Amino acid sequence: MKRILLLLLIPAVLVSCKQEFLERTPVVGSTEANFYKTPEDALSATIACYNTLQQEVTNIQGSSGLKPHFRWFFGDIISDDTDKGGSGDGDDPQLYDYERFQGNSAGQMLLVEWQVAYRGIAYCNLALQKIPEIDMDADVRDAYLGEARFIRAYWYFNLVKTFGGVPLVTEPLASTQYQQARASSDEVYTLIKEDLEFAIEFLPPRSSYSLNALGRATRGSAQGLMTKVHAFLGEWEACYQVSADLVGEGEYSLDPEYANIFTELGENGPGSIWEIQYMNASGGNWGQQLEGTFTNVFQRARGQFNGYGFNLPTQDLVNAFEEGDPRLAATLFSEGDVMGDRGVFTIDATGFPHLYYPKKYFNNAAEEAPFGDPNPNGHTNDRVIRLSDVLLFHAEACFNTGRTEEASAALEAVRFRARGNVSYNPMSPDAVLPFISGGDITLEDIWHERRVELALEGHRFFDLVRQDRAAEVMQAHLDEHFPNSGYSFSAGVNELFPIPSNEITLSGGLISQNPGY
Amino acid sequence: MRFLLLLGWMIPFGIFAQSTAITGKVTDADDGIALPGVSVVEKGTYNGTVTDLDGNYTLMVSSSEATLTFTYIGYKTTNVAIAGKSNVDHALAADIAGLEEAIVIGYGNQQRSKISGAVGTIDIKDATSVPVLRTEQALQGRAAGVQVTQNSGQPGSTQSIRIRGTGSLNNAEPLWVVDGIPSGGIDYLNPSDIESISVLKDAASAAIYGARGGNGVILVTTKKGAKGQPAQVTYDTYYGFQEPWKKIGLLNAEEYAILMNESRAAAGLVPLSQLADPTSLGEGTDWQDALFERAPMVNHSFNFTKGTATSSTAIGGSHFAQDGIIGGEKGRFERTTFRVSTQQDAGDRFRIGQTVNFTHISRNALAENNEFATPVVRALNMDPVTPVSRPDGSYAYTELIGSDIANPINQVATTYDNWMTNRFVGNLFGEYDLLKELKFRSSVNIDLSLGSQKIFLPQYDLGVGENDPNRPAYEWREVNGLIRNENKWSNWQWENTLQYDKDLKNGDRIQTILGYSALYGNYQNIGTYRDSLNSNDPELAFLDNSLNFNEQAPNASGGFGESSYLSTFARVQYELGDRYSMSGTVRRDGSSKFGANNRYGIFPSLSAAWNLTEIPWVVEKDWIEFAKVRASWGRNGNADGIGNFDFTSVVFNGQNYTFGPDQQQVNGAGPVTTSNPDLKWETVDQFNAGLDVDLYRGRFNIVLDYFVKNTNDMLAVVPVPGVVGFLPAATNVASARNKGLELALTYRGEKGDWDYDITGNLSVIRNEVTGLGEGGQPINTGGIFGAGNDFSAYTDIGLPMAVFYGYETAGIFQTDEEATANTAQPEAQAGDVIFVDQNEDGVLDENDKTVIGNPHPDFTFGVTANVKWKNFDASIFIQGSQGNDLFNGIFRYDLNTTNLPVSALERWTGEGSTNEHPRITHTDANQNNRVSDRFVEDGSFVRIKNLQIGYTLPQSLQDKLDIGKCRFYVSASNLLTFTNYSGLDPEIGSRGTLEIGIDRGFYPVARNFIAGINVTF
Repeated sequence: MKRILLLLLIPAVLVSCKQEFLERTPVVGSTEANFYKTPEDALSATIACYNTLQQEVTNIQGSSGLKPHFRWFFGDIISDDTDKGGSGDGDDPQLYDYERFQGNSAGQMLLVEWQVAYRGIAYCNLALQKIPEIDMDADVRDAYLGEARFIRAYWYFNLVKTFGGVPLVTEPLASTQYQQARASSDEVYTLIKEDLEFAIEFLPPRSSYSLNALGRATRGSAQGLMTKVHAFLGEWEACYQVSADLVGEGEYSLDPEYANIFTELGENGPGSIWEIQYMNASGGNWGQQLEGTFTNVFQRARGQFNGYGFNLPTQDLVNAFEEGDPRLAATLFSEGDVMGDRGVFTIDATGFPHLYYPKKYFNNAAEEAPFGDPNPNGHTNDRVIRLSDVLLFHAEACFNTGRTEEASAALEAVRFRARGNVSYNPMSPDAVLPFISGGDITLEDIWHERRVELALEGHRFFDLVRQDRAAEVMQAHLDEHFPNSGYSFSAGVNELFPIPSNEITLSGGLISQNPGY
Repeated sequence: MRFLLLLGWMIPFGIFAQSTAITGKVTDADDGIALPGVSVVEKGTYNGTVTDLDGNYTLMVSSSEATLTFTYIGYKTTNVAIAGKSNVDHALAADIAGLEEAIVIGYGNQQRSKISGAVGTIDIKDATSVPVLRTEQALQGRAAGVQVTQNSGQPGSTQSIRIRGTGSLNNAEPLWVVDGIPSGGIDYLNPSDIESISVLKDAASAAIYGARGGNGVILVTTKKGAKGQPAQVTYDTYYGFQEPWKKIGLLNAEEYAILMNESRAAAGLVPLSQLADPTSLGEGTDWQDALFERAPMVNHSFNFTKGTATSSTAIGGSHFAQDGIIGGEKGRFERTTFRVSTQQDAGDRFRIGQTVNFTHISRNALAENNEFATPVVRALNMDPVTPVSRPDGSYAYTELIGSDIANPINQVATTYDNWMTNRFVGNLFGEYDLLKELKFRSSVNIDLSLGSQKIFLPQYDLGVGENDPNRPAYEWREVNGLIRNENKWSNWQWENTLQYDKDLKNGDRIQTILGYSALYGNYQNIGTYRDSLNSNDPELAFLDNSLNFNEQAPNASGGFGESSYLSTFARVQYELGDRYSMSGTVRRDGSSKFGANNRYGIFPSLSAAWNLTEIPWVVEKDWIEFAKVRASWGRNGNADGIGNFDFTSVVFNGQNYTFGPDQQQVNGAGPVTTSNPDLKWETVDQFNAGLDVDLYRGRFNIVLDYFVKNTNDMLAVVPVPGVVGFLPAATNVASARNKGLELALTYRGEKGDWDYDITGNLSVIRNEVTGLGEGGQPINTGGIFGAGNDFSAYTDIGLPMAVFYGYETAGIFQTDEEATANTAQPEAQAGDVIFVDQNEDGVLDENDKTVIGNPHPDFTFGVTANVKWKNFDASIFIQGSQGNDLFNGIFRYDLNTTNLPVSALERWTGEGSTNEHPRITHTDANQNNRVSDRFVEDGSFVRIKNLQIGYTLPQSLQDKLDIGKCRFYVSASNLLTFTNYSGLDPEIGSRGTLEIGIDRGFYPVARNFIAGINVTF
């Protein structure tokens, strides 16, 4: 009897230690409820916003496998500046389709562009929601908020340039709000401008950052982006104002040597307004990109140069350069050139018949990753906005608001540096890049200058669309490159890319497709 | 089990008044030999005794009208009426069909004739007489419904087990339970220490394991020794060697050059200078010969068992070592085990037992199972023009292929990857008999596993001279490095059960069990890395030898995870006489892994069996010895695929960014996924109907089962719109169904000096995905590099999981006109592949993909045959699979200068030359190498898994040498394989649940020949 009583005690003991036994919380990382409490948390939350900028080759939701969505896929390959390249037409066939304007809404490069942009926006929204609740220095806090808003504006600008109007998400979504409809492109631009105005007001100027903070968003970054936004909207007076402010505040100056801009030493140079940072020593790999870039290996020639051979400059681009323009040699490699410390570029050495290879994102063997797989660990930063970019927008804004002399001055500033910091001397036998006066200057001059100054930096296609020339120029390109193929650029359709069909399905049909797709 | 049964009968509980003495002798019905140790009991009482060494017994019974029950292991229990006699002799008939054999089921055992669930048993003597290197191999082909596939042929690699099909998209492996304790990983057991294995296949048997039994349960019982057993020592040893059983036909150097030149010519390029004169290149390098080698294996194992009147002891130890057929000692697997298991009686009512296992494993491993960085893929894709090494002895690099395809021999030589595990598993239990029928048992189990990994990355340079500009990126490493990881897994489990077993007066029997169990496990790890060690000698590879004192980016990491389970369960088994038996189970499981909204789950089951043997219709037919029909239904859960903290959204550090010219990384933190507080287990409902029949005095045995298994609440990651920004967490929304038929046949016979038995099993299983959640989309997996990293496997509603999906081909364009006429393929020319435009919209795109193959077999089977003649024995084990497709993803067509299979010689060279193989091309504008049925092959195979011949020394010689038994044997494994598959091995496992049957350069299973000795003292 006693034994049985004793026995019954045991289950009673067991039952009492039940509930907490099954409640466990993670100790590596924190739950959302426990985070966002201190100024250090605020900094971490802000840096997370930057992290998506580096996700060039990443996974798409719902499937394994990594897809690239480089800026230069959209800006250069789609345009008449470069051809796709790679190991053949079968290498990324979807990109090949888009290049010939035969692509459809199932393209994975569009899907990953969309998803990564919204990933970045989600982190910015989270930071904007959580940081104001943290008890910290008001100036520091406003600077962090400014950074988050700037990056959010950057992503929305990418989205609206690529797809037109997109869903506007300004705070973290609850599960009932997952399905969103598109806003109009005007509404998106309004948000972008609001965000940039905040950023311009609260972000510190570049000079106030220490050397070790180069790469953080600055007041100049916001002004630079705002310049572009106004230009894309055709708001030339506003564009003039902002670009004048940026130039006038004297934070930036043109790197005296053009060729220097794209070297390792030229990273975060005097003219760098917004540069996405990469480094080669983070041990990233194909599954996890970490801090390196894939652009180096993608744009390097195949064969003995061990690259993937993408982004091949066209003869058209080469012909666009004026006679003797020194920038041509800094933009691309021609047959016979020495490719850094990797050897001489010959057709045999690459194994392919292409005549030109891009140079601006070329890296030397000596600059490769000190450990791990070199391919995901390229070091070359992505120069998104440079001073000459802003100067040329300034020139265009001046021209469009009747200030032709100022337009000519801005244009000359760029050409002066390109010449090697000498004025144009018509008498000299090796004078290049003629001076264009206020009386002679035309919009075509400025547009031409944009093409050769900013070649292979991901601008061309969007410039053509903005300049209303896309149909004409791209059709001529298609006719020449793919004769008798029947490929055509549909005006009014192909200026925008189709919304990824996956996203339309997942939105429950709330998102409508762009016309023509 | 045996000692438990004997125990129950041997200890007298209470003495009743006797009046009559009955004596007698018990013998074997077949040969008249006296049987010692037979239990003789007065039926309906606990009054009993045991026969002595001569088979004689004496029992005082209460009345001369009583009945005596005779019971003995391996023989049929019989009741004999005393009917007034004072001497009752009896001849016991052997239980050939093993009807009374006690089969281990969850938390106890049950007679085979009474089991109402679907429980498969593995005859462990059959299985371990074949040298098995891992316990899972003992299951392969021996139980209907159990499919075991290797994930790689490399020594020490794990195996995938599927019981009754794949029931989950995430984790479909069954639960291993060793001596009643769920065990994470079975590799610590020496197969010779195993007494028996039962496989709980249907939900009713597995329901007592609740939330972890959804994929089936495998119960392993280890040797314990028996009371009263004289000391016995067994020693087994074998030695053998392994070799590859197949080589793929590849192009030789001359053929390769001809084809490469042809492909370049088609693209308007001149031949490469190295290939300009094909005939001068001759045969070139045979990389497969260079890669594979003959590798030895050796095993020593000993076992000691002994019992006294009140205790039993089993001790075992082993040492096993196996080299790899690739890399020799670079692929070596070594395991040393030691265990002690004892049980003691303390008084009449209390028993205590302890088991201690210690295992040390050391595994060297080479990269495997991917198509860009493994020795197998590199050897198969490497061009035959490049020699293995140069005249000066250094390894050569290829000048013809860029990227990925490095010299595999060099890769093997520079791989130093070792994983060492020390594992301790200990168990302590106590059992107390509160009443005769009521028993309380408490057991505590501890499992501690320490894993230590060391990867040394030596400095090497295959370049010619310093800074050779032609040297490919993969063929040099400038700075050496060392990676060291330390991992610790620890688990404890405490289980308490109360068991009530009673034989009722009317002949019925009831067995109930009530239980409570708590389980806790945690995992910790530390990982570190340093480079620039002062020496390139792997023996001197220690972190302290690093010469790099720069402040490096974080190179140390470490984490922690934990989880816990709490369960209560109850089972009632009722046997109505000999006719009916039924069983009902309920288990309630709670886990820390489940979301707060779904913390506990309830898992019930019900099963019943009807013994038809006494029915008049069956009794008439004397060729039917035994027949039983049974049916069961149950619900289990599958919780093992859920991560420790998947129910919450965790803010992770590591969303870093770099700033400044010094490239300083700054930490960023943010959530990566959305959270799911509703997270819970996957629910598996299964219905099973079965038939067990023994014919011809038990010589012929048939077991037939039909089952339908539905998995609901399957975890799937349902895509959320991109605007959400974060990756979706898994939600319980998907469902799948598996249904099938299992058949197991056994025939035993003897004729004079010949004894033979043949066992076969057949499984037919059909798998189908029935739901992917609302808004769920088909899942694409299985990216194949050779096809531009496009997906080859597809999972969607109405199809089996992970079917092959791609383009269908319809021959070759024979003329350019034919090619231009086909507008769906604008880049095609004569010699290119015609792809079918399924939806006939004039465009060839993603919408034209269709199901091109099914990796699930139509049926699988296994046949074992044993023959004994005098002192010789022979056995053969054949296993096969029919109807499964494989996707051949070995060749890297995306790198257009890799080597090709000999079938490439049959390329299209002109109109009418072939309608099967396309022209050789450098640019592949038509994407001939996209994912299509060109690469789907029939993977059906029949394999002679083992053939063994043994000789046991004659009894007289054994007696003279004073040994119990001594047997010599030779055995060959994976001796012959019949298959049409062109790759290295058709038995390709899976890489994750949704990538089945994709060959990415599979490390083939080796054929081995061994010779061994079994000795018993």
